[in-house]
Amino acid sequence: IQDGQITADELQACLTQSGISGTYKRENMLEVLDRCCLQRDMSGTMGFNEFKELWQALNAWKGTFVSFDRDHSGTIEGQELQQAIRTLGYNLSPQAMNCIMKRYSNHGRIPFDDFVSCSVRLRALTDHFRRRDTNQSGNALFQYDDVSLNFFNLLNITFFFFFLNLKNF
Amino acid sequence: MAYHSPYRAPPHINAPPDQSFLWNIFQRVDKDRSGVISDSELQQALSNGTWTPFNPVTVRSIISMFDRENKGGVNFNEFAGVWKYITDWQNIFRTYDRDNSGFIDKNELKQALTGFGYRLSDQFYGTLIDKFDRQRKGQVAFDDFIQCCIVLQRLTDVFRRYDTDQDGWIQVSYEQYLSMVFNIV
Repeated sequence: IQDGQITADELQACLTQSGISGTYKRENMLEVLDRCCLQRDMSGTMGFNEFKELWQALNAWKGTFVSFDRDHSGTIEGQELQQAIRTLGYNLSPQAMNCIMKRYSNHGRIPFDDFVSCSVRLRALTDHFRRRDTNQSGNALFQYDDVSLNFFNLLNITFFFFFLNLKNF
Repeated sequence: MAYHSPYRAPPHINAPPDQSFLWNIFQRVDKDRSGVISDSELQQALSNGTWTPFNPVTVRSIISMFDRENKGGVNFNEFAGVWKYITDWQNIFRTYDRDNSGFIDKNELKQALTGFGYRLSDQFYGTLIDKFDRQRKGQVAFDDFIQCCIVLQRLTDVFRRYDTDQDGWIQVSYEQYLSMVFNIV
C-alpha cells in the first residue's frame, strides 16, 4: 500500500485471490471503501491484510449459505441460521442465538446479505474479544474508547458489505 | 474518568409546523407519489452542504427511526417526526458551527458533545472525526455529524448498562460482549 491508500490494482488482486473477480467493478469498490471511511483505515487501525482476510471469508460464508439454501430462494430459515452459525464454528448459548435471531429474522427468513452482516459481526467481535481475553478466561475487560473504536470499525465494514449490495452475489 | 454525565436535551425553540406546509414538502419529496418517502427520495431532498449526496447511512438511520411499519420508508404521519428531527439537528449544527464554515471541526465537535453531556478524551475526538468524516477534510459535514451523534448515543447507552460504577471500564463475558454490540446496531 502506498501512502496509506488502497489502489485499484491492490483491490483487483484482492478480488482475484478470493475467486470472485469480475463480479464487482474495482472502481465501484474503491468508491464504497471511501464512502465507508475505510480507505484511511487500510494502513491504520484495520490494515489491508485484515480486509483481504475478510473478503476471503466472504466466499466461505457464501458456501455455507448456499448449502443451507436448499430451495435456492436466496434466503434461509431461522433454524438453518442457527445451524449455519454453528457450522462456521461458533458455539453459542440459546440466549445469544435468540438475540441474533431477533436481529436478523424477517418473517422467519434471512437473506444472504443479512447473513453476511451477521457473520462479519461475529467474526470481528470474536476477534476483539480474544485480543482482550489473553488468558482465555471467557471474560475480558474493555475500556470505553477501545469498545468504541472496535465498534466504529465494525460499523464501517458492515456498511461496506451493505453498499456492495450482496443480493446478487 | 467518566465519558458521559446525565444528558440534557438542547432546548427546542420551533413551534410545531403547519400541516399544509408539511404536506407541501412531503409531496415534493415523494417524487413517485407512492405516499411513502423512500430512502433515496429522502436522500435527494437533503443537503449536507458539500454538493455530494447526503450520507445514505444517515438516511437509513433516520428512516428506520420513524418507520413504524418496517416498510422501508415513511408515510405522511411519520414524516412530521422526520421533519422535526432534521430541523432540530439543523439548529444544533448551526449552533456549534461557530465559524459558519458549514463543517464542524474537532474543537466545535468537542463543544457540541460536551454540551450533550459527554466527557471524552481529546484523542477520542480525533477518532470520531477519522471514523465519520467522509469528506476527508478533518471536519464533519452535516450528515456525518448526525451519524456520529446517533452512533455515539447508541453505543454509550448500551455501554452504560454494563458500566455500573461509571468508570469507563466494563468486564464482560464473550456472549455479553456479543449481545452488547448486536444490540447497538
